Amino acid sequence: MSKYFLSLLCALALGVAASAQAGIKVGYVYVGAKSDGGYNQAQDTGRLYVQKTVPGVATNFLENVPENAQVTQAMERMIGAGDKIIFATSYGYLPYALELAKKYPQVTFMHCGGAKLAPNLGTYFADMFEAMYLSGIAAGKATKTGRIGFVAAHPIPQILQDINAIALGAQSVNPKATVTVVYTGAWNDPAKDVAAVNTLVDQGIDVVGMHVDSPVPVIEAAKKRGIKVIGYHFNDESFYPQGWLTGGYWNWGPIMAAVVRSVEAGTWKSQPIYGNLKSGAAKLAPFGPAVDAQTRKLILDKEKAIEDGKLNVWAGPIYAQDGKLMVPKGGVLPRGQVDAMSFFVKGVIGNTQ
Amino acid sequence: MKNSPILTLLADRLMVPLLGTTVFIALAAAFFHFNGYPPGKIFVQILKGAFGDAFSITTTLGKTLPILLCALATALPARMGLISVGAEGQLYFGALAGTAAVLAHPEASAWLMLPAMLALALLGGALWGAIPGVLRAALGVNETIVTILLNYLAIKLVEYAVYGPWKDPSNLGWPATMAFPGTAQFPAIACDGVASNWALPFAVVLALALFVLVEKSRLGSALALLRSNPRVARLAGIRYAPHCIAVMALAGMLAGLAGIVQAANVQNHLQPDLSSGYGYVGFLVAWLAGQSFLRIIPLALVMGGLLSAADALQLFAQLPYANTLVLQALLFISVLGVGAARSKWRRA
Amino acid sequence: MSAMLGLLSVALLTATPVWLATLGETLTQRTGVINLGVEGQMLVGAAAGFAATYLSGNPWLGLLAGALAGMALSCLHALLCLVLGVNQIASGLAVLFLGNGLSSFYGTTLVDKQITGFHSLTHSAAARWPVVGQFIAELTPSVYLAFALWLACAVLLLRTQAGLVWRASGESADALRMLGKSPARWRLAGILVGGLFTGLAGAALSVDYTRTWVAQMTAGRGLLAVGLVIVARWNPWLALPVALIYGLAEALALRLQSLGMNVSPYLLGTLPYLVPLIVLLLSYRASRRRGAMPQELSGVFRGMA
Repeated sequence: MSKYFLSLLCALALGVAASAQAGIKVGYVYVGAKSDGGYNQAQDTGRLYVQKTVPGVATNFLENVPENAQVTQAMERMIGAGDKIIFATSYGYLPYALELAKKYPQVTFMHCGGAKLAPNLGTYFADMFEAMYLSGIAAGKATKTGRIGFVAAHPIPQILQDINAIALGAQSVNPKATVTVVYTGAWNDPAKDVAAVNTLVDQGIDVVGMHVDSPVPVIEAAKKRGIKVIGYHFNDESFYPQGWLTGGYWNWGPIMAAVVRSVEAGTWKSQPIYGNLKSGAAKLAPFGPAVDAQTRKLILDKEKAIEDGKLNVWAGPIYAQDGKLMVPKGGVLPRGQVDAMSFFVKGVIGNTQ
Repeated sequence: MKNSPILTLLADRLMVPLLGTTVFIALAAAFFHFNGYPPGKIFVQILKGAFGDAFSITTTLGKTLPILLCALATALPARMGLISVGAEGQLYFGALAGTAAVLAHPEASAWLMLPAMLALALLGGALWGAIPGVLRAALGVNETIVTILLNYLAIKLVEYAVYGPWKDPSNLGWPATMAFPGTAQFPAIACDGVASNWALPFAVVLALALFVLVEKSRLGSALALLRSNPRVARLAGIRYAPHCIAVMALAGMLAGLAGIVQAANVQNHLQPDLSSGYGYVGFLVAWLAGQSFLRIIPLALVMGGLLSAADALQLFAQLPYANTLVLQALLFISVLGVGAARSKWRRA
Repeated sequence: MSAMLGLLSVALLTATPVWLATLGETLTQRTGVINLGVEGQMLVGAAAGFAATYLSGNPWLGLLAGALAGMALSCLHALLCLVLGVNQIASGLAVLFLGNGLSSFYGTTLVDKQITGFHSLTHSAAARWPVVGQFIAELTPSVYLAFALWLACAVLLLRTQAGLVWRASGESADALRMLGKSPARWRLAGILVGGLFTGLAGAALSVDYTRTWVAQMTAGRGLLAVGLVIVARWNPWLALPVALIYGLAEALALRLQSLGMNVSPYLLGTLPYLVPLIVLLLSYRASRRRGAMPQELSGVFRGMA
């Protein structure tokens, strides 16, 4: 009896929600605020793109869902609300999404950044390290001290990829360039971000990059101290045009829309989708006035080479921090090791854990 | 009517909760209305999101457990006048210690694993609680500041472990220990689609046991005396130091239990975001309940329901997630205000 | 700039919001009321200050708005514990949760907005002064403001007649009543001034230091400030050194990382909490007397008031 009553209640609740739209329902789970000017806003921009370009689709979202068991509940609520596709947009959602994928085989899960699959769970990510390699060239050209700084939230593979790519890019034009890493230990602590930038500048760093949720505090601090900056997640050039070199930003819309269309058409397959510069999912941000014409041309040429498959960021020789040869000349770091990046290349000052 | 003492007592007991709830609903309705959301619909949504179906009840119970234990861990020291804000840190450190047992012998049988994990978790929680207790008893250092600092410390230590030596390589860089084996989980209970585990009824029993221990035994009067008049207590032969240390350690155990349940049954790993601030919500519940172990139980359930409904409110009513924080505060203000106003009015 | 001065400037900038909040809460507690809601007041101050700066384009107006918003929220604490007689710890928590909630709720529209902060001096003539030039140029208006307020408050509280009454309401309400003064009125002043300072502290964080707003950007610094009042032994003079110790620990943790020291950033991250704890223990050991706490607070700390 009580079960019957409960399911009736559920049906009522969902009926109201579902009757509003006839098309497929897509849910988005965000780890932070959807308008953070950074990671989450980039994902949400993708959601809005899907909403605009795929006819009849309806989207909903949950913000500020931490990377713990709470995300299971959040996604189950969405499934209860009729969502057929769920974009689990944060890296730490992976184990919970995998668990739920087993429980709800009729729902399609898309996890951002993970390297594990399930029959109804695919992953999507973009090789931002390509844009970071190009930004590293700009940084290597721009630095007068030869020292680049990087403000990182946590030592996780994606962030280690970015740091290594910047170092390799910078060293390709400035062999002595180094990248000094400072972790804030938090995705979202603006005061720590600023303190980190100040610390780096006091060490003689004159170009800084970042990978925290919102790049704005780092950009503002760079502006105050008058150093150059490489952006991330979002095109934030307007915050500091004079010091802006370039950077990388996400363009998730097309990938997401393609996923939604293929699920609707029944052609979706579980696979890792790697967007990149070529596919347009990771983009090189516009150049700031501080980048001269010669450097711009060099970077654009290299961008073309990457897109054409002639240049691989992880091509050897690559040496680790301690001088150990990681990739011999002629070789390329295997995809699996890129995804699970756990070392720093030579010239990076910092810890990997 | 006026001759019926039972009715008067009942009216007396129910007045504050009822009036408090009314004021809360009025304040919350005003808040929703002012921000352009229909209050009636939202209230129905909250009830549905908290208790509307088996899934919601499961979620609510899952949040009730840590809140309940952390509230108990706040209320017990408060009984002897210690203001501990430390449940959050004790939760983390308990989980850290309990996880050490799991990682040491992941292949151990359930009969060995569960007791060992539980014992270490309780010990860890007790240690994290006893530090401020010892400092207070031996040096007179204020326990409030020590517990606040220890919270941050415990969280950093867990982060150190899961980003560093305890990170499972097969996670591909995701900061967490290996998944706990099934032998390291508290047995599940399920009923009509509602799922929980045995730690929940155990926690309720703990609350009742604390009630009996503190309200119905001499320990309670000893604690009350230590709180109201330490000098008289000393004359009566009740020593401050052992009580202070024991009470803080016991409180730490309660929160440590919440921590290991969170790691073993809820997350299934030790990882950075273990708690979602349950220690602080528990602190709020304890003070809302006036440090009564019995009143903590329903209030923890209410708070668990409110947190559980937060997702539903975002999804179905498009309310920003922060509304839950506002609701918690409004509930708190209403019940506290009505309670205090009533006792003031009665005195006058 | 020398390494030491660089460290000091990062420390001072990091410490300033905490310094202001500690100072404000010290003033509150010296009237015999504790307010745990500092974190909430800081958040409301940060949001309001950022919004005002965004709308007006004037960061000074932002600081003012932040301070006033903090004070407005502290009125709730006054209402609950002075008028209705709610337990102060509980009431402070209500303020904390409400401030957190309101600032997150209304702050969503402020995220990713761009403001014009104070003019930076790092490229001015001052920066070229020998030795200390760069150091001075890096300090921002809120540091100087905090310095002025700190001097003024410490002198007013410890060296004037009004300060004596202020302290008396924290030491003995009865004595104050005998003088024909109302302790409640002084406590109201204590709460409101505390709200003003903590709101300013929040605005300093959003408007001046980071020029950004995100929900919960205080990240526990308000709660920490309440604790640091105890480390500073309710002495406004000590608010600076105590906040600076916190700032130095924070700065040192980052500095050691940037030097490539092979220690987990998370272990280094314990320093800002470990160091104040050690200072607290040493200071308790060094002085035999335990009685720095305002007498009227001892009842609160035993959960009685």
